[in-house]
Amino acid sequence: MAGNNVTVNMRNKSKVGPIIRFIFLLVLSVSMIYPVLWMITIALESSGSMFKVPPEWFPHEFHWSNFIEGAKKVEFVHVFLNSLAISVIVTAGQVVSSLFIGYGISRIPFPGRKLWFYLFIGSMMLPSIVSLIPVFYVFAKVGLFNTWWPILIPAFFGNPFFVFLCRQFYSSIPYSYDEAAKIDGANHLQIMMRVIVPMSIPLVVTMIILSFQGSWNEYLTPLVYLQDQKLWPLSVAVASFSGAYGTTWNHFMAVNLLYMLPLLILFFVAQKYFMQGLGSLNNSGLK
Amino acid sequence: MKKSFWKKDGTIGYLFILPGILGFLFFVAYPLLSSVYFSMTKWSGFDTPKYIGLANFKYMFMTDPTFWPGLKATILYALISVPLGLVLGLLLAMLLNKNLAGIKIFRTLFYLPVVLPIVATSTLWLFVYEPQFGLANNVLKLFGLNPVEWLTDSRTALMSLIVIALWGVGSNMIIFLGGLQSVPNDVYEAAEIDGAGKFRSFFNVTIPLITPTLFLQLITGMIGAFQTFVQPSILTKDGGPDFSTMLLNFSIYKNAFQGQDFGYAIAQVWVLFVLIILFTIIAFKSSSSFVYYENDSK
Repeated sequence: MAGNNVTVNMRNKSKVGPIIRFIFLLVLSVSMIYPVLWMITIALESSGSMFKVPPEWFPHEFHWSNFIEGAKKVEFVHVFLNSLAISVIVTAGQVVSSLFIGYGISRIPFPGRKLWFYLFIGSMMLPSIVSLIPVFYVFAKVGLFNTWWPILIPAFFGNPFFVFLCRQFYSSIPYSYDEAAKIDGANHLQIMMRVIVPMSIPLVVTMIILSFQGSWNEYLTPLVYLQDQKLWPLSVAVASFSGAYGTTWNHFMAVNLLYMLPLLILFFVAQKYFMQGLGSLNNSGLK
Repeated sequence: MKKSFWKKDGTIGYLFILPGILGFLFFVAYPLLSSVYFSMTKWSGFDTPKYIGLANFKYMFMTDPTFWPGLKATILYALISVPLGLVLGLLLAMLLNKNLAGIKIFRTLFYLPVVLPIVATSTLWLFVYEPQFGLANNVLKLFGLNPVEWLTDSRTALMSLIVIALWGVGSNMIIFLGGLQSVPNDVYEAAEIDGAGKFRSFFNVTIPLITPTLFLQLITGMIGAFQTFVQPSILTKDGGPDFSTMLLNFSIYKNAFQGQDFGYAIAQVWVLFVLIILFTIIAFKSSSSFVYYENDSK
């Protein structure tokens, strides 16, 4: 995967270079990741030994019960299910609506499609705070304050970045497929569902992962709309737990780890899709 | 007639993108237009907006003690964290764009902080920066240095937030890696035949060829940095100390949803918006001098 241009640069070098580079990367990456290790260390310590001098640098005792006690304090199961429900619905809404918009804008020739494409892309530059308050006003007016609707509804109107991704991905599919299907009597809906989308599975997976990640991480919108603690997703619950009076460090770190866990699992299972979304910002993408 | 209407590409096309159009109207056009008016009102969010002319802007520029320090913090934060992130990201990408044992593991480790939820990392750093038992001061003690009041000293608070931003350098790294890998090998070979050394070929081949990637990341990075919200809201809470971390986006949230002053918050939104547009224009205007597009030379 990496290093096709290495051969040139390194041809005449001795073996010292790579070793220094390796040690440097090792030190750098360990110090980057160390805060997370520290977090795990604390999550596993008893309440008393956290404040020992000198501090412990690596896990040495394993109080797994911290996870259970921490989870109890934030009603973890309930909040986790809230987050899961919100994220699944938002993901479904964003992916399906973006697939439709993406197909329409790149496969159906109609007047004005270029204009709309640029309007969608341009709207990505708009700071999201611009819409927050006027949209809040409308949602509050129709009585949807303190419900999940203001978080769920916008997902069904497409995601400009995903539309952009769709258009990029579709452009690599030859039009002869569309034409062949059309001759067989398929309409646009059928062409999209039976021909284009099945050929775009990597695109769909990338969108699912990015969308789930985005919604799992979202903090501002639920913070603004949800007053009732019973409705909170994990992001709001974790933030509130971190600042609450009397929160013990080990319980907090345990809960925070549990909050991270689904994304960590997703990341290790589907790493290349995470990076593909970013790679598309490049003209070539990550090879 | 009716049948052919529904079979026309024009109709079908608009049906397919209808969600996007509705979304654009409701989440972009309406907020943009209405907030011109809302910015000139006194409005608690739940009552009817009352027109007060430019009083919000006057208060912002002349009276509000938090505005100018906040604006300064916002600009400083973006101007420091984004270019630094780009440089570090490029350096990491170059170190990782090699055949080396464990290269995939390194790449994963550097990218990991980006994957974690922003609330989870911000709260983690809240504890890292805790002055008595936090990790940051533990490390300083290890080297025999004096502890620092990371988040409560106005000289270090903003820098502490920037460090967190740089922790997410992995996303820059991944994008640069893609850019580096798209530079064809024969270009380097040609440079070598022409007698270019490592440094020459870096500055005269690599850098020019990845400037489009660099430029795109500069734009998206700055737009993102100007909108930073979670870090100040979780780590410094009141935009303190001395408003040194009163980033605009956070200040807007605070004024609207804690201070119930929606009209004033929307006036601030316009300042943020103009700031972003101004920056984008400057970046595009100056881009012709440093961004290299391959097709231009033909």
